[in-house]
Amino acid sequence: MEYAYVNARIKAMKSRLLDRTLLEQLINKPDIDSIITELEKTTYREELDRAGVLFSGINRIEVAIRNDLVKKFRTILNLIKGGESEQLISIILQRWDIQNIKTILRGKNIQENPSEILECLIPAGELDEAALTELVKQPDIKAVIDLLATWGIVYARPLALNFKEFTDTGDMVVLEYALDTFYYEDAISGVKAAESEDARILMKMIITEIDINNIKTVLRAIRDRIDVEEAKRYFINGSPDFHAGKLISMMKTGTIEGALKQLEKSPYEFITKIPKEYIAAEKISAFEKELEQYLIKKAISQFMGDPLSIAIPIAYIWAKYSEVTNIRVIARSIFMEVPEKELREALISV
Amino acid sequence: MVDFGIPIGAGIAFGLGALATGIAQSKIGAAGAGTIAEKPEMFGLMIILVAIPETLVILGFVVASMIMIMLV
Repeated sequence: MEYAYVNARIKAMKSRLLDRTLLEQLINKPDIDSIITELEKTTYREELDRAGVLFSGINRIEVAIRNDLVKKFRTILNLIKGGESEQLISIILQRWDIQNIKTILRGKNIQENPSEILECLIPAGELDEAALTELVKQPDIKAVIDLLATWGIVYARPLALNFKEFTDTGDMVVLEYALDTFYYEDAISGVKAAESEDARILMKMIITEIDINNIKTVLRAIRDRIDVEEAKRYFINGSPDFHAGKLISMMKTGTIEGALKQLEKSPYEFITKIPKEYIAAEKISAFEKELEQYLIKKAISQFMGDPLSIAIPIAYIWAKYSEVTNIRVIARSIFMEVPEKELREALISV
Repeated sequence: MVDFGIPIGAGIAFGLGALATGIAQSKIGAAGAGTIAEKPEMFGLMIILVAIPETLVILGFVVASMIMIMLV
């Protein structure tokens, strides 16, 4: 793979990402129209113009930033077409397939309007907009799973296997965890098969994601007083440090404080420094936010990694994702007149 | 008897310099093409960066010339 060309292009694309000053300017805008005016001065202009034909206000921003994200990810995929690197990048982009399928299932579960569901999807993975539109049109969850199976999409398998349990319990978590577990296990086996320096870089990122998901599961399970045997089913395998045994021992402490103590001297030690009142109130969202920030920071720090490796595309994908998330948070907060302090707390700071 | 050592030495000095220049320029050229594709305004800077490894082959040429002068 000729990374010199690809990574130089990606680094040039990175230089066009919005900087902190511009985000500050967006935060200080009084309304949606002035945010659009500011964004029109950036690389989002083209997509804003296109979205402006059919949408206005906040929907115009949402559609434009989503299309821009998809376009950039497709550009990266086209640049590295062929060979192992494409496979590895596809593994990262499949996260969006999982996210989209989960959104569709959740939407169908609460009988949401198809157009509303479609607005929340990001067609950055293998399932393109046409496929997602078709999925959204299905009348219920069973029909969505059947259509995925008809298309030969691998995610139909974990969903079909767990569908009975879902119908018995009515708990969406069953299907969501089945999808997550399948994705990570599939990703690990795909990356292990590659056996290259690029695969090693990606493996580190996947393991961090698995660790973070498992730590979140442990904390939620402790808060909700779920017993160890039940919680164990939702652990994702694959991490050498935070394996099932370690997670069970965190669970067995029975308190969030006890579980956090076991994170000392690990890369996730930073969450033990969260103020005591959050621990006492068992406010898991504070821990989740810190863990997500850590994941994004770690991914973006890959820009400092080997300039002739997959580290640069990985970093760009996460940097772009974080930019789009921040613009969405700012636009929505200003639209809903959320106080500035809360807006800033919701931003991903990198 | 003709001493082939001096012209061979000159050849190695020039040849290795040229080879190193080629390797360096291939990487810089590819990265330069990528940069210009995204930012055409960087064209001038890229030309300079691609030309910098030429110094290697020029040094090789100078060393080869000096060796050859010794032969005369």
